Formats: sequence, structure tokens, C-alpha cells
Amino acid sequence: MTAPGSAPARRRVGRNTLLGWSFLLPNFLGFAVLTMAPVALLFYYAFTTWDIFGGAEWSGLDNARQMIHDSTFWNAVRNTLYYTVFHIPLTLVVSLGLAVLLNKRLRAVAFFRTVAFFPYIASIVAVAQVWNMLFSPGYGPVDALLRAVGVDHPPGWTTSADWSMPAVILVGTWREMGYFMLIFLAGLQTVPAQLYEAARVDGANAWQRLWAVTLPGLRPTTFFVIVMLTINSFKVLDLILVMTNGGPGQSTLVLAQYVYRKGFEENQFGYASAVSVVLFLLCLLVTMAQFAVNRRREA
Amino acid sequence: MERSIAAVLGAVTALSLTLAGCGSGDDASGGDGTATLTLAGWSLATTPEFKVLADGFHAANPGVSVELKEYDPKNYDTQMIADLAAGKAPDLYVQKTLKNFYTYQNGKQLLDVSDVASGLGRGANGLSSYQVDGKTFAIPYRQDSWVVYYNRALFDRARVKYPDGSWTWDDYAAAGKRLTEGLKASGSPALGIYQHVWQSTLQGFALAQTPGADLASGDFGFLKPYYTRAVGLQQAGAQVGLGDATTNNLTYQAQFGKQRAAMMTMGTWYIATLLGQQRSGDADKFEWGIAPAPQRDKSTTGASATPVTFADPTGMGINPKIKKARIDTAKKFLAYVGSADAAKALAGIGITPANTDAAAGTIFAIPGVPTDDVSRFAFTRHDTKPENPVGKYTAPLQNILNDLHTAVLSGTEDIDTAIAEAQDRAKNEVLNK
Repeated sequence: MTAPGSAPARRRVGRNTLLGWSFLLPNFLGFAVLTMAPVALLFYYAFTTWDIFGGAEWSGLDNARQMIHDSTFWNAVRNTLYYTVFHIPLTLVVSLGLAVLLNKRLRAVAFFRTVAFFPYIASIVAVAQVWNMLFSPGYGPVDALLRAVGVDHPPGWTTSADWSMPAVILVGTWREMGYFMLIFLAGLQTVPAQLYEAARVDGANAWQRLWAVTLPGLRPTTFFVIVMLTINSFKVLDLILVMTNGGPGQSTLVLAQYVYRKGFEENQFGYASAVSVVLFLLCLLVTMAQFAVNRRREA
Repeated sequence: MERSIAAVLGAVTALSLTLAGCGSGDDASGGDGTATLTLAGWSLATTPEFKVLADGFHAANPGVSVELKEYDPKNYDTQMIADLAAGKAPDLYVQKTLKNFYTYQNGKQLLDVSDVASGLGRGANGLSSYQVDGKTFAIPYRQDSWVVYYNRALFDRARVKYPDGSWTWDDYAAAGKRLTEGLKASGSPALGIYQHVWQSTLQGFALAQTPGADLASGDFGFLKPYYTRAVGLQQAGAQVGLGDATTNNLTYQAQFGKQRAAMMTMGTWYIATLLGQQRSGDADKFEWGIAPAPQRDKSTTGASATPVTFADPTGMGINPKIKKARIDTAKKFLAYVGSADAAKALAGIGITPANTDAAAGTIFAIPGVPTDDVSRFAFTRHDTKPENPVGKYTAPLQNILNDLHTAVLSGTEDIDTAIAEAQDRAKNEVLNK
């Protein structure tokens, strides 16, 4: 046994530290070079004009001024908020409903859980293209079904400026519900069974048990799901890129796609960085507000 | 434990050295007078033109090999820009789309090859698209042109006369409607026209054929007649609507090749594709022909006039970071690329080379290529303008006009509203920025 502070103990601590760093360093270096440094640089490029070749020229607040007068940017902000405001509650309700339903001892429950999770692991390109075909106004089965049940003028879905965003929100919800259902299922295992028994003894019906036992018990899980959904909604890109490419017109152009367009299609990396910073700040503000509300509720 | 630390540190060091080794440059010039040039291409398995040029040059210059570096066709420019910025791009690279030429040229990513251009003679079409301030920065090797493809069997079935080079766009639309009616009456599900989803199917013609039309002026009124006609054709059911084409991922190869439409406008690159697909069975076997693109008015129609059409050339330039010792060899390759020999080699695989005159004999000798007078006229005689002007505003203006394209053809906005909106956006977001 060596006394703490003695030379062998110091050597052991030193060795352990070195070993720890040797495990940490390869991963951390990758993170620092590929994630941390580009993110830090983004804040610098947001104040420059840069077309990728040559150096970035400092332009102060020019990008911010341009953004204020850029109607396409504001359209993208509106569309991003539109997607977020409808996508979050819809996905929350559907995934929670599925979790409650599939938390029961049903026959083939594992099969149904897999079915609900399957969209999440399917290729986003395949998902978007198949849904596009289902929504096709001329040949798609969705409108054919609506016509069959008496809807004379079914929606144009992704070919209509009014219906393209609802179509994208529906597919986004369908795709993500399985993932959040799993998180809710895990949360449901933490709600003590005695509480349900006590509620039953008190004569609470299923609705009252959900309202008074399940939902309060799921509060930490629900908070996590809302934060994740918020971030996912603000940065939605892949689904929209394949399904509508921001159209028709600008009806589904969101901020992430606007960044992509300005950066990789028009080579305006300075302006694209400035829009990225706005997207980041928007995400940060909303998430911080959610944390503040949650803290107040818990207090 | 110490051995484990040494092993981990050793592995990290080895990895670092390996990564450093990856970054070291290599000089491909051999000491025995041989040299290797590197050339960027895409989809090498299905795009044989790069190998044809590399092999043709090697045959004429046995001491020089041209090694191909494959890029993703959809992200070619993004990947090329990244490679150029990182100093990892090949010696020579292709200007896949003309709209990005400005980015490369303005970013000083192309060597001046005016000396090569001056030696090419008068046969090379599309050269002016790569000239800035009197200097040439790329050499075109192919120059397609948009024409009308038509299915003779479907025209016969609908009892409509083949296009003869006298058509204006109104004639084209009227024929499309007659074809649709005739085909329907004969029990065929085919439509008269297929118009692909690209904005160029309308905007390319409108810009090329309308006198005084200028994209950078921010005045887009020249688009109106072209869109009004297209919307009318969609409403009449003579062509598939944009919405159905995009939601069902329709391809123009299947629409024309599988006889779902009697005619369509498309670039001459489709000649090689159609021939190949008819051979492989991916397209039906039927008699087809090409005709000059429909014109804005009668003044450019008929055998004595030169029809106005559009298409961008495809050119090749030299990466300025090429090793100095290889610059002359690279210029020699470019001179070959623009030569009559290369034109014939390209025409042999059904590609329309920039030197069209030198290649006409070769292309019409390929089995399956229509050889009637109208097809020959359409292939060899045209005033082909670039799809878009080369300039810093082209890419953002194209994005604005693509929004107009989808808004109008989906029925979201009428053409007047869409033009007014696009003009406002062009002024505020691009031109007066």
C-alpha cells in the first residue's frame, strides 16, 4: 500500500492520466477538427463575403443587413416555423398514443412495435419518393381513396402551394413517430405500477389514469422528446429536399435548405454562414425557453 | 500497463503517419519521357466520352497516359470546388455546367488556354462561352443542341404530319393537341407531348429565341408566351402536368423511349441514349426522327433559315495547380479534345462534338440514327445559344426562376403574378444587393 502523494502514487496517477488521454485523443481530435473548428469558423464567416476560392473578406454587418431585406429568407423563416409548430405537437401526440397502446400486453406486440419503428430506419430518399407517388394528384392512391369516399376535389399535396407543407409535415411525423414512441415506451417503464393500482382502487377510469398518472410520470421523457423534436424540426432538410425541393414556388423552402442553396448552389458561403447562425440562435433560444419553463414547473 | 500505453501511442503515431502519407503529392512524370495526366469525369461506366478522349490521345501520343478520376455526377461541382480549394483536383477538369464556369474562372481556378483556342480553327462551336476579356479558359469538346424528337409510328397512328422544320411553338402546341386526340381515338394511352420537369425546357428557349431577352436585366416578361402555352397544353391534357411528372419521378427516357409521348424537345445527347436503350431493350424499338426546335415566329423556320435553339457546351480546362512540367502536355491534350479527330471519335459513340461539321458523316453512319433530310438539317444547322449567360448573377437568378417554373406549372400562381414576384426578388435579392 502506497501513501497518497508518494512518488509511486503520483506515477500511477500520471500513467492513468496518460492512458485516459490516449483513449480520448483520437476521438477528440476528430471532433475538434471536423466539428468544433468548423462551427467556430462559421461565426467568423458569417461576417464575411466568401465564394470558397481565395480568402474571406470581412464585411461587418453587411450579411445581416442583406438578410433583413431578403424576402426569401423571411419566407424560409415562416416556413420553418410553420413546420415546427405543427410537426412537434402532432409527432408528440401520435408517438405517445402509440407508446401507450403498445405498452399493453397485446398479442404480437413486438411485431407492432417493429412496424411502428420501421419508417425511422427506412432510407429517407425512398420514403420521400414513395410518399410523393402516394400523394400524386393524378395517379396516387391517397387522392383516389379520397375521391372514392366522396371528396370531389382532393388536395394537390406536394403539387399545391397550400398543401405541400401539410404533406411534408405528415410524412415527417410518420417517419419520426417510431423513434419517439420507443423513448416514451422506455419512459413508461419508469412509472410505478402501484400508482395505477392506487388510481384503480380510487375508481379512476382509463382517461383519468392517463391524465393523472401517466402524463405526470412521463414529464422528464416528454421534455426530452420536445427538445429533440424542436431541434429536428428546425433543421429539417433531407425530407424536403427530396420530396418538394422547396416548392412549388417557395412554399416548402426552409432555413436549412436556404443555407444549402446559398452555400452550395450559389457559392455565397459568407451569407450562407450568416443564415446558419440565425438558425442556430433560433434553435438555442427556443431550447433555452423550454428549459426555463421546465425548471419553473419542476420548482 | 506501460506496454498498453506504448501500443496505443504507437497506433496513434502510425495512423498520423499514414494520414500524412496520404497527403503527399506525387509527380506522375516518368524519367523515361512518359507522363501521366489526370482528368476528372463522372459516371465512367455509363459516360464513355472521357475514356474515348483519353484513349484517342494516348493512341496519338503513346508517351502520355490520361488517368481518369471519377466524381459523383449529381455533386460534381461541389466535389470539384472542394478538391480545387484543397489542392487535390486533377490536372484537367470538365466544366459540367456552364453556369458554374464563372465560379471557377472568377476564382482563378482555370489556366489561360487562349493559345490552344487560337489553333483550333473555325469548326469549334461554343468557344465564346468560355472567353472572358479576350482570353479563353476552357476548350469545348461537345456542343449539344435542343431539337424535337418524334415517334413516326405514333404520328402515323394519330394521322398527323411529321414536323418538317417549319413549326413555330403555336404549330407545335396545335400538333400536340391533335396527336393526343388522334391517339386517344385510336385507343392509344400515349399523349402528344412530353415536357420534362427542367426549367430549361421553357426558359432556355425563351431566352435564346426572344430578341433582346437578357437574364441579368431582371426583366422576365419574355417568359410569358412560353409559359402560357405550356399551361394550356397541361390543361388540355396534351402533356403530363409538372406535378404528376415530379411526384412520379417520370424520366424523359422512359416517356419517349417507351412510347408514352409522341414527341418531346430534348438535347442531342439523347440520340446516343435512345440508340443504346433501343439496343438493350430499355426502350421500345420504333422509328423516330429529329426536327429543328420550334421557333418563336416564322422568320427562323424553313430550309433557308437557321433555327435558333439553345444548349450549353461542355468544355475542359486546366487546374492552375498542375505541375509546371505538365502544362504543355495538358495543353496538347486540350488541342486534341477540340480537334476534328476527337470530334469523329466522340461522334462514333453518338455524342455531338463541338466540331459538329467534322462529325456529321460519322454520326449519320451509326445504325439506327435517322438519316432523312429534316433530321440531318436539325443536327447540322442551328444557331445554338447558351442556356444562360456566364456571370455572377446567373446561379441566384436561376434559383429564382426555378421557383417561378414550379409555381406556374403547378398552377400555384398565374404567370403575370409569378413574373412580377420573380422580378421583385431579382431586384432586391440579387441585382441591387
